[in-house]
Amino acid sequence: MDEWKPNPAVKPHKKRSWYLAWKYKLMNQRALRKLCQTGAVLFLLVTVIVNIKLILDTRRAAYEEEEESAQDYDDEMLNVEVPRHPVNNKKVLDVEVYSSRSKVYVAVDGTTVLEDEAREQGRGIHVIVLNQATGHVMAKRVFDTYSPHEDEAMVLFLNMVARGRILIFTIKDEGSFHLKETAKNVLKSLGSQVAPFLSWRDMWTFVGKKGGEVYGEKHAKSPALSTWGDPVLLKTEVHLTSVEDAECHWPDTELNRRRKRFCSKVEGYGSVCSCKDPTPIEFNPDPLKDNKVFDVPVAVIAGNRPNYLYRMLRSLLSAQGVNPQMITVFIDGYYEEPMDVVELFGLSGIQHTPISIKNARVSQHYKASLTATFNLFPDAKFAVVLEEDLDISVDFFSFLSQSIYLLEEDESLYCISAWNDQGYEHTAEDPSLLYRVETMPGLGWVLRKSLYKDELEPKWPTPEKLWDWDMWMRMPEQRKGRECIIPDISRSYHFGIVGLNMNGYFHEAYFKKHKFNTVPNVQLKNVESLRKDNYETEIHRLLGEAEVLDHSKNPCEDSFVPDTEGRVYVMFIRMEQEADFTTWTQLAKCLHIWDLDVRGNHKGLWRLFRKKNHFLVVGVPASPYSSKKPSSVTPIYMEPPAKEEGAVAVPAAAEQT
Amino acid sequence: NGAAFSKVRGSQSGEDSTRWHVVRKFLGLISSHNIPVYLIDPLILRLVDKDIEQIRSSPDGPSPECKYFCAPRDFTTFALLDKTWKHEVGLFRTAEKMGFQWLKIINKDPRLDGMDDLSGMEIPLHYIFKLASHAIHLVVFYERSGNFLWHGPLRLKQHMDRKFVPFRKLHFGRYPGAYEKPELLLVSIDDVKVQIPKNPSSFLEEMSHSRFLECRYREARAFFQLYPDDASLDAVEFRKKAKSLLHLSALTLNNLGVKFWLSSGTCLGWYRQCNIIPHSKDVDLGIFIRDYKADIIPAFQKAGLPLKHKFGKVEDSLELSFQGEGDVKLDIFFFYEEDDHIWNGGTQAKSGKKFKYLFPKFTLCWTEFVELKVHVPCETLQYVEANYGPEWKVPVKTWDWKSSPPNVQDNGVWPIDEWDNVIQIY
Repeated sequence: MDEWKPNPAVKPHKKRSWYLAWKYKLMNQRALRKLCQTGAVLFLLVTVIVNIKLILDTRRAAYEEEEESAQDYDDEMLNVEVPRHPVNNKKVLDVEVYSSRSKVYVAVDGTTVLEDEAREQGRGIHVIVLNQATGHVMAKRVFDTYSPHEDEAMVLFLNMVARGRILIFTIKDEGSFHLKETAKNVLKSLGSQVAPFLSWRDMWTFVGKKGGEVYGEKHAKSPALSTWGDPVLLKTEVHLTSVEDAECHWPDTELNRRRKRFCSKVEGYGSVCSCKDPTPIEFNPDPLKDNKVFDVPVAVIAGNRPNYLYRMLRSLLSAQGVNPQMITVFIDGYYEEPMDVVELFGLSGIQHTPISIKNARVSQHYKASLTATFNLFPDAKFAVVLEEDLDISVDFFSFLSQSIYLLEEDESLYCISAWNDQGYEHTAEDPSLLYRVETMPGLGWVLRKSLYKDELEPKWPTPEKLWDWDMWMRMPEQRKGRECIIPDISRSYHFGIVGLNMNGYFHEAYFKKHKFNTVPNVQLKNVESLRKDNYETEIHRLLGEAEVLDHSKNPCEDSFVPDTEGRVYVMFIRMEQEADFTTWTQLAKCLHIWDLDVRGNHKGLWRLFRKKNHFLVVGVPASPYSSKKPSSVTPIYMEPPAKEEGAVAVPAAAEQT
Repeated sequence: NGAAFSKVRGSQSGEDSTRWHVVRKFLGLISSHNIPVYLIDPLILRLVDKDIEQIRSSPDGPSPECKYFCAPRDFTTFALLDKTWKHEVGLFRTAEKMGFQWLKIINKDPRLDGMDDLSGMEIPLHYIFKLASHAIHLVVFYERSGNFLWHGPLRLKQHMDRKFVPFRKLHFGRYPGAYEKPELLLVSIDDVKVQIPKNPSSFLEEMSHSRFLECRYREARAFFQLYPDDASLDAVEFRKKAKSLLHLSALTLNNLGVKFWLSSGTCLGWYRQCNIIPHSKDVDLGIFIRDYKADIIPAFQKAGLPLKHKFGKVEDSLELSFQGEGDVKLDIFFFYEEDDHIWNGGTQAKSGKKFKYLFPKFTLCWTEFVELKVHVPCETLQYVEANYGPEWKVPVKTWDWKSSPPNVQDNGVWPIDEWDNVIQIY
C-alpha cells in the first residue's frame, strides 16, 4: 500500500504527529469546528448544484447531438442519388496545453483533463495519452525529471504506449535537471525539436502522435538561473482517426474481447495491447496436487496504482495452484483504471469509497476488505491477504498448501507469512526451510477466520485512531505471544517502493537485496517440526550441533564466519532482558539486514545464513537458549552509535515508502 | 434408450412433449459446460415425492410413461450453486446456438450490503432460458454467513422485456429466500437424469416458509451517524459474549427442532442497527407456546447454561432465563396466540404481579444476524413499535420492562399457592 511504513521511527511520522497536534488543537476549538462544519455543508451544496447543472448540460448536449444526427440522416436520404463530395468526417479535437512555473493544464475540446496548481507537488513533465479515435484520456502521468531516474521511468512508460496514440507533454516548474540524453532522444524521436535543448527552468509544451505527425510545440527559455521561462500556452488541433484504425485486429475470442475493452481505454501496459503479438492474459499454470488452499479466498488489497496491480495479478495468476475464482481485488477508492486491470484478467473487484484519511484510511480499507472476504466466502476458514505491490512466487500456493494445516491445528500460531524480513540475497539460502518468528511480517500472509472474527474485527482500530493496521496487529494486546511461520526464502517480493510511478532503478536495487523464490514445487522440509513443542526440540538439536564462532573476532567482518558451506554456527550477543535489542540492532545494521525495528526473532534467537552456512544468534542472558553458551564465551556487545548518526537508517533505506 | 422412450411418450395424447424436449436440451447444455444444477420445481418435486421410494430403488429404470416432465407448464425450475461455476460466457453462446433465448437478472450483492461504502460488481440472481413455448427458470443460490443458502428476489429493470415469460407465475423470486444446503440425489425420471433434493418433501416444506429479510443496512448506517457505536472494550466484550450465547442457543434449539425468533432488545438491535445493542445486557428469544418442549430446560443445562429463573407455566405466561457466560443472560419468552393478537407474559418475582405484552399477529422470516441464520417477525416494524413505541429509533439506556413498553398490560397477580411453581429462582 501507499502508506505501508515498516517503522514508526522513520521520518514521515513526524508529519503525522504534527498533523495530530493540529487536529487536537482544532478539536478543542468548538467555534472553529462549527465553522468547518458550515464550510463543509456549503461546499456540499455548491457541489450538488454544480453537479445538477452538469447533468442538465450533458442531457441537453446529448439531446442536441441526437437531433443533429437525425438531421444528418435526413440529408443522407435526400442526397442518395447525387453522392456528395467526400465529406471530411474526421473529427477534430481542440487541444490547449499550458506550461508554467506554478501551474499546468491541458484542455481537450474545452474539457480540462489536467489541472495542477498545487504548491510543491506535480513538478516535472506531465504526460497525457489520448485515444486517437475517441480523444479519451487513456493515461495521465507525471515524471519528476528534476530528480534522478525519473526520466528512465518516463522512457519506460513512453515505450509502453502504442503507436498512433496522441501524446501531450507539459512542464511544471522544472523538468530538465535530470532529463538525460536517452530520454531527450526519445522525445526527439517523437518529433520534438526543442527536447534536445531543454534546459534549466524552461517551459515547454508538445503535442504529437506516437510514430506520426507533430501537432504543435511551444517553448520558453529561462532567461537566468534564478528565474523561470515565461508561461507558454499551446493551442492546436488534432485530427481523429477512425475507430477501426485505432484498434488491433485480434481474433474474436472471449479473452480478446476483454483485451480490446482494456486496450481501447487505458495506456501504458505495453505488450498486453500489442497488435502483432500480445502477451497472454490467461496463464493456466500447472495445478497443484492435493491443493489444500484451492478453496481459500485471496484478498488483494489495492489502491490507485494500476500498473502495480497489473504486475501483481500477472504473477499471482501465474503461480501454480492459483484458483482465480477465489480472488477478489479490493480497491481503496472509486478508481476506474485498477478496475479495468481487474476486468482485463477476468477477476472480480470491489471498490471501497474511503471515509477517513492516511493510515486510518488504509486500516479501514483493510478491515472492510477482510470482512467482505469472509462474507463472500462464508465457508472459508482462512483468507490469503496480498497487496498490490507484491510479486508472488511460483510456488506460493504450494508453500501454503504444505503448511496451512499448522495454522488450523496449532493455536500458538498467529499467521503464516510468505515474507522473511531478514531474507536477503546474502542471508537466505534454503527454499525448503521454515521458521517460527514472534513478529508479523505481513506482505502476503494467511489469516485465520476465527482470529479475525473473534478477536480482531470487533476491536479493529476505529477511523479516528490513525493507526497502521499492521502495527496494531503486532501489538502484544493483539498478538498475545503467538508466532508466525515464515519461509527462509520469501515467497513474495515487495516491489512497491515509490509513489505512483514504476521506477526501474529502485526495483533493481530492491531485487538485489531481498531474496525471492523462483523454484517451482519446493518440497518443504519437516513441516511438523514447526509445531510449538517440536520447534523447541528442533532448536535444541540445532544448537547442539552448532559450532561456536570465535567471539574475539569482529562479527561484522566476513571472516567472522569460516569459508565453509552447509555448516551450522552460533554466536552469542548481549541481551539483558527480553526487550534489549541494542546489540542485535547494531549487528543487523552491519550485516545489512532489517534493522529499522526488531524482526525475525524467536525467544531471543535469530536464524539466518552467512556464506551458505546456517547462522544462529542467541541473546544472552534473556534467551532461554542462553544455557547453550559455553562458559568460556563472553557474549558480544556492540555499542549504538551517537544519536544523530543512529537516526539515519542507511542499509534499509530502499524499503521505505 | 431416449428414442424408444420418445415413442412411448409420443403415443400419449394430450401431453406436452415440448417441455420434456426443452428440459432435456437444457440439461444437455448445462452438462456440456460442467455446471451442476438441481431440480427445485415444486410441482414436479411434489409428484416425485409421491414415488420417491420407487425412484430411489430403481435409479435407472425407465418409467413406462412420461409422468413428470410432460405436464404442460410454462416453465421448469432449477437451482444452481453460484460457487460451482465460473460464469463463463461460453454457456450463453452455446445456448443461443441451440436456439435458447436467455435473460439474466442481476442485482447488488447483499453480502456486501452490510459493509460501509463497498461497491462490488452486481451478481446474477436468476436466469431464464426460453425455447419455443417453454422456459427454464434457473435460480442462483449463494452461500451466506451462517452456513445457509440464499437466493435473491426477481426484480425486472426498466429496459427488460416484461413479457419474456409470465414472471408472476414463477415459483421463486417474489421474495428472497433462505435454505439449508441440500443433500442431493441423482435420479432418472422420464428418461431424464437429474439431481433433486434427497428429501423432496422437506425441501417443499422449507420452501413454504423460506422468505428472507435483509437487514436494513442503510438505515443502520444512518443510525450510527446519529448515535456513534459504542466501541469501548466493555461493549466489544459484551457483543462477543452475546454473540456466542446466541450461537449456542440457536444450536441447542435447532437440535431440538424448536422454532424461535429474535425478540425484544435483540430484535430491536437487528432491526435498528444490524448488531447487538451493547448496553442491552441480555439476549432475548421468542418461541410459540405450541412449540414448547419439556426438553428445552435440560438441553440448555446440558449446553452449559444453567436455569436462572422460570416464571409462569406452560398454560400461562411462561418465561425462562438461563445464565450465560459472564453475566449475559438468555431470556426466552413464550408467545400465546389469540384470534386477533399474540401475547407473552411477564412476572414480577417479589410481588407475584403478572403482566401481559400484546403484539399484532405476525409471521416468521429468515434473516442473517451475527453470522447466524435466524427467524425474525416478518412484520418487524409493527413488532418493534408495539414493544418500544414510535420512538424506538432513539436509544434508551434505562428501560423498565414493567412500565416502559407501550404494549404492557397489568394481568392480575399469581395466586399465592401457585408461587412455588410459577416463580422459580435459582
